[in-house]
Amino acid sequence: MAKLDVKPTRMELLNLKKRVKGAVRGHKLLKDKQDGLMKTFMEIIQEAKSTRRTIEDKLSKAFKNFMQASAMMLPEMLESALLYPSAKVNLDVTTKNVMSCYIPYFKLEQEGDILNYGYAQTSNELDLALSAFQEVFPLMIKLAEIEKQAERLAEELETTRRRVNALEHKMIPDLKETVKFISMKLAENERAAVVSVMRIKAMIEEQAEQKA
Amino acid sequence: MKQKYSIAIIGNKEAILGFKALGLKTFNANTNEEAIELLYQLKAEKIMNEETKEERPAYAIIFITEELAMNIPKDDYKKISKGALPAIVPVPGSKGATGYGIKRIGKMVEQAVGSDIFKE
Repeated sequence: MAKLDVKPTRMELLNLKKRVKGAVRGHKLLKDKQDGLMKTFMEIIQEAKSTRRTIEDKLSKAFKNFMQASAMMLPEMLESALLYPSAKVNLDVTTKNVMSCYIPYFKLEQEGDILNYGYAQTSNELDLALSAFQEVFPLMIKLAEIEKQAERLAEELETTRRRVNALEHKMIPDLKETVKFISMKLAENERAAVVSVMRIKAMIEEQAEQKA
Repeated sequence: MKQKYSIAIIGNKEAILGFKALGLKTFNANTNEEAIELLYQLKAEKIMNEETKEERPAYAIIFITEELAMNIPKDDYKKISKGALPAIVPVPGSKGATGYGIKRIGKMVEQAVGSDIFKE
């Protein structure tokens, strides 16, 4: 803690007192924001973890299927079967404001059929693998949504936490100490003034007595 | 005005072929350098809105396989994932889950709270 480098005047004192008030108010608001963000973040992060686990599980199964499918077919056949997909995905994005942090929400729109190839040249496994992919895909979008939200919130939380800490442990104590320093100094000056007036009064009285 | 975004996936051939059938935009990358370059390109890609003349990113979500995602330098990742969109999401590739995704969540918790409170 260090006091600020200011002159001990009444005007500075008034200014500083105003700043302390502002800092305390800001600190309270930021603390509330941090709590609000933290509440949302905790909910989201729990969900993210469980979704991520499910996806890892399901996706590796889907890939296994796909690997089997590709092993059964000629690579050229596989590629030409998947060359022109008729399925289309579109994403609708809306944002929500959580404590002045914008977080995205995704809504998936799918059209067309994923099994868009001749059945004669492709294996049964490919159909299975693709429908497995199709099944995990909405979950993946969900995961993307949740993780992006978590990421955004984490960023915002970090900055808010830093601000709260800076205010709480540096700014407010510094200001308070300086206020204290100035008020002490002013009181000291006042006492010094009173004493010097008393001294002068005594001296004048002494002089008057000697003349008389 | 409804806004429509595309979804992209970056990975090696085996990983992305399956998603191509779903209608995702697929991009093949075998090395880290390729992946990073692709990410920058995709982030920079913009779509003009005909009515409002507003520009917006073309891709809302970019999936990337974990093998590629784990080797992206921090600075690059920060630059790419800045802003509300796009969302960069690592997914397990054809080799299966590497644990990178869960680790990433742990890192977020660390960033937000100060320490990873869910560590097992």
